[in-house]
Amino acid sequence: MSDEEIKEPAEEEKKTEDETEIIPAEEELLLPRDTLLSAGIHIGTRMKTGDMQQFIYRVRPDGLFVLDVKKTDDRIRVAAKFLARFEPAKIAAAATRLYAQEPAKKFCEITGATSVIGRFIPGLLSNPLYPNRIEPEVLIVSDPRADFQAVKEASSVGIPVIALCSTDNEFFGVDLVIPTNNKGRRALAVIYWLLARQILRERGELPPDKDPPSAIDDFEAKIAREEGET
Amino acid sequence: MTEKTATISLVTCTSCGKPIPPAAESTKFLCPNCGEIQIRRCGKCRKFGRPYKCPKCGFIGP
Repeated sequence: MSDEEIKEPAEEEKKTEDETEIIPAEEELLLPRDTLLSAGIHIGTRMKTGDMQQFIYRVRPDGLFVLDVKKTDDRIRVAAKFLARFEPAKIAAAATRLYAQEPAKKFCEITGATSVIGRFIPGLLSNPLYPNRIEPEVLIVSDPRADFQAVKEASSVGIPVIALCSTDNEFFGVDLVIPTNNKGRRALAVIYWLLARQILRERGELPPDKDPPSAIDDFEAKIAREEGET
Repeated sequence: MTEKTATISLVTCTSCGKPIPPAAESTKFLCPNCGEIQIRRCGKCRKFGRPYKCPKCGFIGP
């Protein structure tokens, strides 16, 4: 009896060792998988384009296409590496979508980038006679379809474009895609927060194990009802 | 009488391999992954979303 009692904990230890061996594979992601999934960054739409086929993981029974979280994670790392090579003031983030405006604004505050929130005024990048013209070296758009004007002008002036793309987007004028849910409030907050954190880490402004002062909740767009309650 | 000839070396598009004329719409940026190779994309390849591959690290975009 006593031998069995002694053996059991040893087996349990073995099990926990095995489990701990699996955990590092999970930790390869920038955030725990559960956090990413609960934010819904993997949820696409019922439409699929040929361009986005490579990032689609499966189709749900209700017809929604699901994105591969690992590929999203990889692309965030690559995009952060890419953006960290530019001067902060030379990065512009455009967000026409309502839910993308607050995350993009917060992203720009943290990283020192220029934000273009709301309607993108035609000529903002390409018209030399426009007094408020900006001259960024790279552009981030929240949705290449909603921010079509920004992508078009970036193409004409020849600057690279990074786009958050869902399953229904095409790669027109885009140079680097981050596959993600670009319609969800929480998903956009998580993506912009992750991107900001990773850029700061790549620049060396933030230690690899530290988070930026702003939390994910600060990046989330507030809906009118919530503002009224508080 | 000697004829002097000058050659212009045109940069080529990383996606399609065709030369990019100097005045044409195009973009250039360092490889997003390794940052060592300059990627150049012509206007058409950007428009059609044609993939490009970094010759050094093998990163495939967009």
